[in-house]
Amino acid sequence: MSKPIIDARNLIAAYGSMQALKDVSLTVEKGEIFGLLGPNGAGKTTLLACVEGLHKPSQGSVHIGGINVQVDSTATKRQLGIQLQRTALMDDLTVAELVEVYAALYEVYLTSGQINKLLARFDLVEKRNTLARRLSGGQQQRLALAVAIANDPQIVLLDEPTSALDPHARRAVWDIVRQLHNEGRTIVLTTHAMEEAEALCGRIAIIDRGQIVASDTPSALIANLQLSSMLKATVELPLEQVRSLPSVNNARYTGQHLEMETAKPEVTLTALHELAARSGSSIRDVMLRQPNLEDVFLKLTGHALSESN
Amino acid sequence: MKRFLILTKAMTLMHLRNGYVLFWNFVFPVLLMLIYGVVMSQYMDYMTPGVIVLNALSFGLVSSSTMMLEMREKSVLRRLQATPLPAGQLIGSYLVVNVIIGVLQSTLIILAGVLLYDVPVTATSLLLAYPMILAGLLAFMALGGIISGMVTKSGTATAIGMTIYFLLMFISDLVFPLDMLPNWLRNIVPYLPAYPVVQLVRSSLLETALDPKWLMHLLLLGIYGISATFIAAKLFRWEPKA
Repeated sequence: MSKPIIDARNLIAAYGSMQALKDVSLTVEKGEIFGLLGPNGAGKTTLLACVEGLHKPSQGSVHIGGINVQVDSTATKRQLGIQLQRTALMDDLTVAELVEVYAALYEVYLTSGQINKLLARFDLVEKRNTLARRLSGGQQQRLALAVAIANDPQIVLLDEPTSALDPHARRAVWDIVRQLHNEGRTIVLTTHAMEEAEALCGRIAIIDRGQIVASDTPSALIANLQLSSMLKATVELPLEQVRSLPSVNNARYTGQHLEMETAKPEVTLTALHELAARSGSSIRDVMLRQPNLEDVFLKLTGHALSESN
Repeated sequence: MKRFLILTKAMTLMHLRNGYVLFWNFVFPVLLMLIYGVVMSQYMDYMTPGVIVLNALSFGLVSSSTMMLEMREKSVLRRLQATPLPAGQLIGSYLVVNVIIGVLQSTLIILAGVLLYDVPVTATSLLLAYPMILAGLLAFMALGGIISGMVTKSGTATAIGMTIYFLLMFISDLVFPLDMLPNWLRNIVPYLPAYPVVQLVRSSLLETALDPKWLMHLLLLGIYGISATFIAAKLFRWEPKA
């Protein structure tokens, strides 16, 4: 295997007394989409900040393309395209001005034609003379991505690129991320949405409370844990009774929905119907699904992905 | 150099498109001249340099420090920190933009003074006055830099800046002569930062000569400016939170 393009070793980072990273190591290969999946406050942003040279870890090191971030952050920053969690652009500038200035900060000077070409990829040409603050959320996010690659970087780091977007805008960003990947760029993104990680990432690191608890391809992560199928139903029954049903390994409520991990869904479903009939409850919306990353996360950490750390 | 120029142009545009910046730095000073013109029309020679300095003071302590804080609050600074731009170039560019705005503001006030109230200004007096205005602006901006380094919210910075500004405005011989003050205060005021600036600007603008104590004034201003710059640099932060 070739040398990893990002090589983070034994990172320990703290904000005051809060330990954000507890001995985190991570390697990203050239040309992959790598996802950091974890709840809010897990340490994803801090980990990115260490790679970006924005946060100095108290221990450990990060190498980007063989260069140590702490030794020559100017050189490592040059290789990166960055989108922060908050758009964080000067929003009294127009779309075209922002692309021009951010490219210039990397000493890349774009012509008006080059700026248009870049904006066209992000469906922003018509907005080129619009002030950034007048853009919609989805447009601002696309602008942040356009700005992130204005310097034509080989590595692109995206912090929660779709967190505040509606499903349509989110799909548009996914398409852009895939495009960037198809151009041979390496992409690292953070997300707390498991469907995003599954849809986009070749490899994933699951991060929780400042530690990486597992790292692999999404399918391997799911397969390795040998999780059973998930049977979901809308019904009100005592959990302890549900747990004692045949073939049920585990059960919990998410909102009104009862979720059961079961090795034999058909046996469990029959037993569930009998139990409901005995206690006079009715079952609605029965659904059977394959285990996903959310289940992996729950299994590995003991809590749901949607719960903040 | 090209990078520096593009960044400076962008920051200038950013500030000139901000309604708040435009009003307080360009409209308000002229309004102030009009109001003073109504209530004390015969003193406008004395008042004009005072208005220049009081606006430079509010610019440095309030506008300039809140502009920096807003960039920090909105994570704009952090986003800039993620690029290979050296910090020195960012600060340099910010200073240039601020100086442009501050000098424009003073020019508007001088124009208002000359056109509306026949304030006697000559080419030579302007040549002498502008460096004094510039020195004042830089010192006030450095003091504003301490404020923006100390607090996290732009609202707090505005409150602190305004308090100091109002205090200094009334006692520093800007719009009220020093002899209106009680004795004890009159002995302290010359050592406060706004007083030396207005002496230097007033004498150069009106008399085409430097105040007899110019060296002392400049020295004091230099001490304020350099030590404030040093402290502001120590307090400077990229991140929104401490």
